[in-house]
Amino acid sequence: MKRPLTLIVGLLSGLAVLVAMFVAPRGGSVLAVVLNWVIVVASVALLVAIASLVLTHLRFIVKGRKGFLLSIVLVLSFIATLALGLLLGVDDPFFLGFVGAIIRPIETALLGLVALVMMSAAMKIFRERGWSVLTVSFGVSAIIFLILGLGFLQNLKIPVLNEAIRFVEALPMIGARGLLIGIGIGLLMMAFRVLFGMEGSGND
Amino acid sequence: MSPSELFALIIGVALTVMIFSYILGDRLFFGIATHILIGVSAAFLALVVIQKVLLPYLISPLADHTNAGFLLTLVPLALSILLVLMLFRRGTQAGAIPLAFLGGALAALAIVGVTRGTLAPQILSMIGRFEPGQLMHGAEPQWGVILEALMILLGVISVLFVFHHRGQLKAGNVDRPVFLEGVGSIGQIFIGITFGALFVGLFSSALVALISSLSDIIRFISLWF
Repeated sequence: MKRPLTLIVGLLSGLAVLVAMFVAPRGGSVLAVVLNWVIVVASVALLVAIASLVLTHLRFIVKGRKGFLLSIVLVLSFIATLALGLLLGVDDPFFLGFVGAIIRPIETALLGLVALVMMSAAMKIFRERGWSVLTVSFGVSAIIFLILGLGFLQNLKIPVLNEAIRFVEALPMIGARGLLIGIGIGLLMMAFRVLFGMEGSGND
Repeated sequence: MSPSELFALIIGVALTVMIFSYILGDRLFFGIATHILIGVSAAFLALVVIQKVLLPYLISPLADHTNAGFLLTLVPLALSILLVLMLFRRGTQAGAIPLAFLGGALAALAIVGVTRGTLAPQILSMIGRFEPGQLMHGAEPQWGVILEALMILLGVISVLFVFHHRGQLKAGNVDRPVFLEGVGSIGQIFIGITFGALFVGLFSSALVALISSLSDIIRFISLWF
């Protein structure tokens, strides 16, 4: 159970946003002030999280914990980027080029690695879950959309086939709509639980 | 190729090879590359937050106490100080208040965002398909449009049944009539089709990234041979 003070603070901030949103534009100025506070506090929370990450790795280095070499790499790359950014500014083209030259190839290679992992995961799903309605429809759909993605069938320009392709391409939207509504209802329930102190931060 | 471009290519290829070493079972070089990514991204994020958010919205209003926004800025300042105290062992409890403030405000934003941005448009769009003007062309019923609207309704309801079924499975209550089992199975088919299409989309993007990384390595090798 949450402490009364945190419960009151959470409830008040949530109700202030809700009331300001529903009575807008009259509550527009109140909403702008509260949102400004949220942006600032969320940004400071992010900075605290980053500081905590760096401090944890510094502690690993001092204690000589297993894998501390990787902690040295992290701390050095953090300090080098921070120093360069403070010296040149975030908008400096050289600084942006430096950050891009490091982040872009790693992210692209990681995404490339995802292609290989996804291939083995797709095979694994049949081994782990067996042949069920869900796995079979998933497999058939993946094969059909892979073939459609090639664009070969569309290029045949047969009117009946094009009509069938249009119908098949609309099918995932039906499932996506149901999933979105289901997830939306779930999120709504979770948000109310957080607002009334039944879930989330500040628990004793 | 300019020296800076060559330098960027060398760094890019080295980092790409380090990431792909994971396939060979290596953990050290893969770990080095990912830790570089974390360090650089964290520093870049911190700089952006400081220069684009904290300086204009927190520090600048505090610098001028004659400003009307001075008093209003004291609230996020106090909450921020409580958050910073979380970094110290004795101050971990102090962070509960700013986190409760954030949790409450973000939950309220989620309620408004989900109802106005997801639930209402999706449900209204589904209902909109049953408008008489769309289903009838003069006195003639449009059977194709009617079938499509019914299929969408059936698909959405059956997918929601799958959610309900999973909830019952978690609660340990799985006794359901055969009719509901059938509807749940239809929902699973629609979910499978959606996940299959999503899988192909993601797989295609990942494949393009793989080809791009490999072509960078080939370009680098062709520079020397």
